[in-house]
Parts: sequence; C-alpha cells; structure tokens
Amino acid sequence: MKPNKNRRLPSLLGVLFAIVLIAAACGGDDGDDGDASPTTAPAESTAPADDPPADDPPADDPPADDPPADDPPADDDNTIRLGIMGECEGAFGGFHEDVVAGATLALINGAGATSTSADTALDGFSGASVAGVPIELVGIGCGDDTADRAIQEVRTLVEQDGANVVIGPLSGDEGIAIANYALDNPEVTFINGISGAQDSTLAVRAPNFFRFNGDGAQWNAGIGDILYNEGGWRTAAVIADDYGFGWTSAGGFVADFCAAGGQIVSQVFPPLGTTDYSSFVQQLPNPDEVDGYFWVIGGTGTNASLEAFLNAKGDLTGDQHAGNLFFSPALADALGTDIAGAYVGGFASLPGDITTPEIEAYLASADAAWDTLSGGLTGNEPGPPSTALGFGFAYGYYTAGLAFVQALEQVGGDMSNNQAALREALSNLELQAPYGPITLDENRQAIVDTFVAQLVLDEASGEIVQQTVAIIPGVDQTFGGTYSTETDPPERDNTACEPRDLPWQGNSIPVIDGVPQR
Amino acid sequence: MSGEASTDVADIKFGMLHLTPRSLRALRVIPTIMVGLIVAFAVLWILFLADRSWTVKTSAGAAIEEPGEFLVTLLDGLTFAGLLFVVASGFTLIFGLMRTVNMAHGAMFLLAAYVGIQLQQTMVGKSRNIESAEVSMFAWVVPLLVGATVVAVLGVVMQQLFLRWNQGQDLRQAIITIAVSVVLADQMLLQFGGLAKKMVWPGSVVHFFEILGQRYAFSRIFMLGIAIVVGIALWLWLNKTRMGMVIRAGVDDEEMVRALGINVAVVFGITFFVGSFLAGMGGAMGASFAGAAPGTDGQWLLNSLIVVIIGGLGSIKGAVAGSVLFGMVTAFSPAYLPSAYTFYSIIFTLGTLAIVLAVRPNGLFGRAE
Amino acid sequence: MISLSARNVAVALTCVALILLPAFGSDFFVDFVATRTLMLGLAASTMVFLSAYGGMVSLAQWLIFGVAGFAVGNVVAESGRGLNLGWGPWTGVFIALVAATLLALLLGILSARSTGIYFLMLTLTYAVVGFFFFGQVTTFSGFGGITGIDPPGFFDDRPKRLYYAALVLSMLAYVGFRAIARTPFGLALQGVRDDPVRMSSLGFNVQLHRTLAFTLAGFVAGLAGVLNIWWNGQIDPTSISIGPTLDLLIIAVIGGISHLEGAWLGAFVFIGANIYLRDIPFLGSIEGLLEERLLAEERFNTVIGLLLLLIMLASPDGLAGIIARIEHGIRLAFRRSNPEGDGSSLRTNGQ
Repeated sequence: MKPNKNRRLPSLLGVLFAIVLIAAACGGDDGDDGDASPTTAPAESTAPADDPPADDPPADDPPADDPPADDPPADDDNTIRLGIMGECEGAFGGFHEDVVAGATLALINGAGATSTSADTALDGFSGASVAGVPIELVGIGCGDDTADRAIQEVRTLVEQDGANVVIGPLSGDEGIAIANYALDNPEVTFINGISGAQDSTLAVRAPNFFRFNGDGAQWNAGIGDILYNEGGWRTAAVIADDYGFGWTSAGGFVADFCAAGGQIVSQVFPPLGTTDYSSFVQQLPNPDEVDGYFWVIGGTGTNASLEAFLNAKGDLTGDQHAGNLFFSPALADALGTDIAGAYVGGFASLPGDITTPEIEAYLASADAAWDTLSGGLTGNEPGPPSTALGFGFAYGYYTAGLAFVQALEQVGGDMSNNQAALREALSNLELQAPYGPITLDENRQAIVDTFVAQLVLDEASGEIVQQTVAIIPGVDQTFGGTYSTETDPPERDNTACEPRDLPWQGNSIPVIDGVPQR
Repeated sequence: MSGEASTDVADIKFGMLHLTPRSLRALRVIPTIMVGLIVAFAVLWILFLADRSWTVKTSAGAAIEEPGEFLVTLLDGLTFAGLLFVVASGFTLIFGLMRTVNMAHGAMFLLAAYVGIQLQQTMVGKSRNIESAEVSMFAWVVPLLVGATVVAVLGVVMQQLFLRWNQGQDLRQAIITIAVSVVLADQMLLQFGGLAKKMVWPGSVVHFFEILGQRYAFSRIFMLGIAIVVGIALWLWLNKTRMGMVIRAGVDDEEMVRALGINVAVVFGITFFVGSFLAGMGGAMGASFAGAAPGTDGQWLLNSLIVVIIGGLGSIKGAVAGSVLFGMVTAFSPAYLPSAYTFYSIIFTLGTLAIVLAVRPNGLFGRAE
Repeated sequence: MISLSARNVAVALTCVALILLPAFGSDFFVDFVATRTLMLGLAASTMVFLSAYGGMVSLAQWLIFGVAGFAVGNVVAESGRGLNLGWGPWTGVFIALVAATLLALLLGILSARSTGIYFLMLTLTYAVVGFFFFGQVTTFSGFGGITGIDPPGFFDDRPKRLYYAALVLSMLAYVGFRAIARTPFGLALQGVRDDPVRMSSLGFNVQLHRTLAFTLAGFVAGLAGVLNIWWNGQIDPTSISIGPTLDLLIIAVIGGISHLEGAWLGAFVFIGANIYLRDIPFLGSIEGLLEERLLAEERFNTVIGLLLLLIMLASPDGLAGIIARIEHGIRLAFRRSNPEGDGSSLRTNGQ
C-alpha cells in the first residue's frame, strides 16, 4: 500500500487520540489530590503553573520568565508522602523485595507501621506515624539499573504521586542521576538506598540528597593495609569491570594498598558484556611475577573470569587472591577450598559470624515483621526475612529509613519550611544502626564502619564461608585526600598510587571468633 | 528484493562529479582493497610485529617470538567459536527455512540454562558450591538435554500459536518474538532471581594440559568437540536425509515443495524444534562456560545476530564461518591490541562486522535475494 | 493539495487539542506524558517514514537520536565525564544536528545495499556498536554517562516551552514527511520501495535515494535527540542500549508502522501503559488467583509484552490499522461504499 494515497485513514484515529489525551490529562491529577490540594490557598499569585485548576495562561503565548515552579501542591502541610525507589528489573532485579523490605522494616521498628502482607513487603504498609504525623507510602518505584529509568520512576513518585521524601535508589548510575534530580527539586528530600557511586555525594553535592551508606571505594577500605601487612603483598594486579562501580571499587583498593606502601603492577579492565574472559586474564602477570591479584568483577563475570584464570594461569589460592564484595563462593563456584585464607572487602552490613545484641535484635525484628520474604539471596523463593535483611542491600535501605524516622522524631514531625528542620537533623544525626554507628560529612555522605573478611573452611560443612577479621572504623569518602571535590571521579586508573596516612590506619578493630575486640 | 548488481546502471551527476557505471564499479573495489590491506596488516602484526622492543607493547607476543601465547589465543578463539556456532546455527536454521527472525532465541538460551542448572542442582543434591568432582558426565548431559528439550517444545508451541499463520510477514514475526522474549525475561527474573548462576562441568572434563609452556583447560576443548559433533550431525541431517533435503528445498523454493505435496507445516514445526533445541543446548553449554543471569539472554541474541550477519543469514556454512571469525577477533583483539587500549577490543570486534558488510552486504555466505 | 479528508480533519483536531493541552492538563501530564509522547513520537516517526515510504525498517534511529544527545552533552557540559567543552547550548544543538546527520549519511551509505530484514538486523548491529562505543570510549562518555545537562534558559518555564517545542517539531515533521512523499524525490523513493529493480532500470539511483532518505530521517531523529537530552538532563550508554532501541521499534509497531500518525499514537500508548497500567486494580485481583506475583505491579514488563503480543496478533498494522479497520467497518455499515480493503501488511521484503 501507499500511505500517501490512503486518503481514507481514520477520522477515528485522531479523535480517539485527542479524547484519550484529554481524558488522561484530566485523570492525571487524580494521584495527588487525596490529601493535599485544598489546604493551601492560592496565596502566592506568582506561581501560576502550580495548581492545575487555577491555571489558564494563553496557550500559544507562554508567560515570560516565571521561576521554575515544580513544587507539588501543599508541601507545607505535615503529611509525609514517602516513595521507595526499588529495582525490579535488570541485574539487581532480584533484590527488589529485599530493599523495599529494608525501608519498610525501619518504619515498622521506628514508626509503628504494620506490613500489609505477612509474606511480602511489596504490598506496602499502614499505620506509620512519627510524632503524630502520619507517613503514607505513595508508591514503590521500579528501576532497571539504568539512569534514564531511575529518573522516570522518581519523577513519577514525586510529580505524579506527590512524594515529598524518597528513599532509594539501589545502584550507582541511578544514584548519580537522582542526586542531579535532587538539585533541581529542592522541595523533596532524598535518602539514598544503597547506591555506591562516589559522584552522587562528592561531585553533585545536592543539599537535599543524603547517603547513610559508604560508596564503592569506602567498602574496600582497610583491605589493602591488611594485605600489605598481614598478607605480605608488596605488588598487586587488579582486574575490574570497566564501568563506574568497578573503577570506584578498584580505586578504593588501590588507594588503600598504595597508602600502606604497596605497588600496583597491572590493571586490566574487561568491558561489561564480556563472555569469554580468557584473553583478558592472559594480560595479567603470571603468579610468579606478582604477589597477588585483586578481583572486582561482578555479575556472570565473577565466576567466568575466575574460571578463566583457573584455566590459564593456575590455581586460585587464598594467599594470592583477594577481591571486593563479589569475591564470594556464593557467587563463584570456581572458588574451591584452596581459596581459604583469601581476604574480601566489605559491604554495608557485616558477615553473619558477628553477633551483637543490636544485630540480634535487628534480625529478630525482621523475622517478627514477616513470616517469609522472597529475597534475592534465597533465589526469590520464600525464605527467612532475617536472611534478606542481614545482607547489605536491604540493610542500606533500612539505615536510610531509620535515619529518616529518627530525624523526624527529633524535629517532632516538623516538615515545614521546605523540610529545613528535618534536613538539619539528618545532617547532624548520629545514627546508632545495628551494624555500627553512622554519621555524615559536610557533603551529606556517610562516615561508616566497614569490615574486612576472610574466606575460611567451615570444618563442619566442608564449605567456604566468610569470617570477619577486622572492623575498620570511621571510613570517610576522601581516603585521606586521595579523593576530593577537586578530583575527577575514579576512572580506569586515575587513582593516584602513593603512600599516605589514612585516618583508619592502625585503628582497625580485630575480630576474633565473631567478637570485635574494641 | 533487489539484485544488487542491477541497482546502479545509471550515471550519477552531482555538479562536477560525473560517475559512469564503469567508474562506479571501480569505486566498489576500493573497500575490498582497504579490507585486504587491513587484514594483511593484522596478520603481519600478530605474526611478527606485536610486542617487540621496537613496536608497541601488547599482552601477547608476536607468534614467532611467543608461539605458546599465540597458540593459546588461537585455541581460545576456536573454542569460543564452537559455542557461538551451536547457538547461532539454531538461529540461522530457522531463518533459512522460514524467514523468521527469532528474537526470542536469547530468551530460550537463558531458559534452557536455568532449567539445566536447576536440574543439575537437584541431581547433585546441593544448590551451592558444587565442585566438578561431584558432577558425573550423566549429571551434566541429562540437564543439558532436558533444558534443550524444554525450550524446543516451547519454541514449537510459540511457532504453532503465534507464527504459523502469519508466515512471510517477517517484521511482524520478529516483533511477536520480541514480545515473547520480554515476557519470558521478566518471568525468568521472577522465577530464578537476579544472581548469576552456573552449571558445573563434569569432573571428567575438568583437567589441564600444557601447550608450549602454557596451561590450557580441557573443558574448552570438550566444548569445541561438542560443537563439531553438532555441526557434523546438522550436516548429515540436512544433506543425507530426506527431511533435510526437503528443508533445503524449502529454503530455495517453498512453493515448489508445497506443490510436491509435502506437508510444509510439519517441516516448519520440526525445524523450529531443532533450532530451539540448539539454542537450548547452547544455553546449557554457555551456562557451564560463562554462567547465566538476567541480561545473558540479550547478550546471546546479539552474539547469534552477529554471527549470522557475518556469515550470511540462513546458511549453516555461514554460521561456521561467522562463528570462527567472530571468535577469533574476540580472542585476538584483547591479546594483540596495544596494552593501553585493550578495553576497546569489544568495539574492535563489532567493527569487524562493519568491515565484512562493507564488502559483502549479505554476509560471507549470504545470497543476494 | 490539502484535502478535507477525514484523516486531515482528525489530525487537525488533535493538533488543536494538543495546543490547548497545557491549559487544562496537569504539569505532570504535560511534561511527563505529553512532552515525552511527542519526543518519542518524533523519533519513531523517522522510523515510520523510512519504513512506509522507503521500505527500510531501521533500528539505528535510536542510535542517531542518542548521538545527538551525547553531542549536546559533550559540547555543553562543563564538568564531569566527556569532553566538557562548556560551549553555549545553541552551539550544542548545531553540532548535535551536524553529528546526527553525518552519522546518518555514513550509516546510510553503509547499509543502502541491504534490504528487508537484513537492513533491520544490520541497523540493530550499528545500534549495538554505538552502545559499546560510548560505553568504552571515556573521552566521549563511558558507562557513567553525562549528567546534569540543562536546556537553554529559554526553556526555563518548564514544562510549557519544551512541550511546545516538541509539539512544533512534531507537527513540522508530520507535515514535512507527508509533503516529501508527494515530491518527485518522495515518489521515486516509494517506487524504490516497491520495485527497486524496475526503478533502477528506469534510471533512478536506488542506493542514492535510500541514502538520502536515511540522512533526512537521521536529521529529524537528531532533533528528537536534542529535545530528549533537554528533557532528561542526562544520557549514558544504557540510554541507547538494545532495550530502548527495541522500545522505539515497539512504539512504531504498536502505532502502526505504515501510518505516520501511528508513531505518536504508539508513543502515547507505550508511555501511558508504562505509567498507568500499573495502577489498574484488576491486575491485583488476577494476582490473587495466580500463585506468586506473576502479574503484580513490579512485573509490568510482562504486561507490556503481553499487550504488544496481543496487538501484533490482532493487527499487523498496529493500532492505526485496527482503527482503520473499525472505521472501514462503520463506513460499510452506514453507506455501502466500495469495499476496498486496507491491504497493508508488514511484509518488508515486498516479494
């Protein structure tokens, strides 16, 4: 057929399109009129674009430079509309339930909420309030590990559902995008979920974006020092995913290892999407040419790259290999029993071997809140809630929710004046979280306790398990000046390798049999 | 479709520029010469020039200096090509007969991988930290076959329900299979979670041997072996059996086959079964070789597309050639690119494709229609 | 030339409605739904143009769209990743459009000899090369992408001005593409689509026509890409990965890949489904019947996939085709007009 001859194309098409548009446009405000609109009288006449009904500028003659007027109606009233930015697709899609449960548990423990369902957190909660102010869950965003989608989801939460506090997101690039969005939307408070890109706080520095977890580099603090001093490494080779998180995580190791006096002899960055790692592993020095290898490869690559090493270079032994949080037998079958003794970098929560009364109470509260959760660690099959909540993803969202609830408590539920009091309280909060205290620096980035673990052979089961060897207290984002607001974000190999004093050097708290020797 | 030779008989006049058919034909030789030069340089570089004291540092040395490194890279390329072939041959088989671009090929790969992994874990009796020594050949082959059969049945169901009656509308079919793959991917995320999983090679193939001082894994050779067996079986099936001849005839002239009273619908169903089965086999092998996770589906759809575009759509011979070329470039480019630029290897790999197509728009063994 | 056909009346009415939209739509709707519909529709219209008039189903349109965005980002941004040239935003627009057009010209030359489904897969491969290019080459982006890009000050009055920019460009593209179809070039292009061999023997240069059409479409896709980066504020390689690339194809096909209007219609349905389908209560009740959460809110990709499947099974011509058939049926019922069917199909290899 020839479209240009097709004169009889549907009148219905256009009419329907128009009707649908109009109908949807009118339906568009339904989302946020439930509790808000009538309370604020249109006192300020300078913000015409705010309130849809009161708005009739001539359409083809846009008014001259009005200030950008994005505020959802009525943010001065004391209702808290919370949005949770989760991740239901993409590489971390399996952790959607985990992270939503993390934020929810904070409201259950701190704000008297009750989960709607006993076996999932995704159906929401009810009855949450702090200092008499109710907290309503307006939506759960569904990210897919990309920045574009994160922005769309968070805009839906804020602009459609009217959220004035958002907890999330999960992964690094999303975090940078949402921090940038926060800059443009000062009326909403954002508390990061577990995303770990350095830029979100160190480069963007949005005044309404708070992060109560470490970044990818912070999680590797202390391991370089231990490898140099305990493991006897003087030289190391690094193999890392060729994108933001890989660079940041590798950068943390490089900064820490070099600060202690070590040398990096080789850095290899296989592109994301590599299937066959053999040619990249070939680029690493041979085991007799270097003291050790540090692995920062995630996803399917974790096992594939280790297997390629096994195939081409030699056995994976505990004294010559270490890695970041991905370096785990749970993620890589290639790590056999020979790997016992290898050191592994930290994450947001601590390995299961450490038990303190606070941790036990936290995990027990999770088991009390739900019967089962279908979290990522149990392959999205129903499992004990404490399994999900004990892992870093859920815990990051939990600390975000907990910080929010505690700060709100401090200010008596005061959300007025663009949430100024709440933000002040968040900035100065000394959060006593189950796995250790957290405070924020001047960029609203967490100063955290992280840990270094070792892979050991569990005699009883014959399996390799993680055992904590040290807690590294007070890790900040700058690594003693290696990173600052002036430096570029970590890239392939731009982290300077030089000896320097790090604030946590010599302060690490040894852990013996799961008991920190404070 | 246009015969490519007949497309430019007219003169082209652009102001001063005046191209006659003869000079146009002469122009067309330019890309061929360019490609020839590039290939010649690449060969020279790998054989003699790389990583010498007076050239640029690369991670593997020139073949005459470091024959071991060269041989290992060659084997890496060949073995990876084996896996590529198994997956892509299914894709090309379906396309060759039915003109259906099965965009759900990657999703089938992943589903078979998950089914195989699940079954293997059940057979071995543990879900984590399975060591190769615990896996018998039986506990590897059975999950592979079961996984492949499951997706083969699924493929036939898809073909019968959604594709049978709109045969020939190739874009519509491609989009229907996209829709199926979107649904499959989302449901697999729900069922199998987001963590990377792996099938474990049987203990009997996990050992190492030495080639010219370099350590090499037998499991990769095993993978290549399976691919060769699959290739021979396909060849025998298509060339020595009646069914295969019907399929080959159908590729050439479907109407004629129909006119001869052959039930084409059954032939189509069987072809879809085999094509999906190959995707599934590839899935189980790929899950042993590199693991399976959300996203693996898209990656392997892409790998299949690249192989068949290089080799020529619908041609098994082309699938062999495409796999080998793609595998070789994948292996050689990180090894022999200057060390500071190895992370560009993946662009380099895809650039190969552009080069091939500049010379042969229908792929190495594709036919102009 | 402009006839008062039902089609034109409908389109004109829609345009009036769209012009008036900001007066009664909420900011969210105007900015998030309508502006995005127009932007994606504009991008999809280039795909429809190439397919309907040139017989080329191109998956490289999203790449070209993205390249324009990356160009703006590299030229305009002052810090972060990329070149950080820090030049003015309008310079950025100029460079972006030049880059998009040149890329389209190059890809057009490279692929003009392929047809049908080959063309589709070839352009898909270009899209993937583009994804890896921007992912690996940190000079221009890297996987982190370029963030914090603001539109020129003129668009500060968001959402209205950006909306009108998208609307004006969409209208121009729509009118322009239809007008081109009636020029000698457009007629020859359609001839090339239907019978390249014959056109060739009549003395037309088939590849030249294809290449030029592709370049023109690339320019328009570049315009959409510029709007998008202003709207979105950031771009990274996953913005142009295989997923969004196929989304654009889905948009074009849902709408109806042989009707220009279908591009915008498809974009509207796609975006609307993404935003509004999640709140539909019946999905929740189905979920109660099924075990687990097969169709729960976070599984809306499944819902989108099923929707796409349904539309494609029902009509090869997407929603526009469905509407056309309904209209046809109504007409038949009311005044027994000549039963000339709408014989369109998705055959790309016009055998």
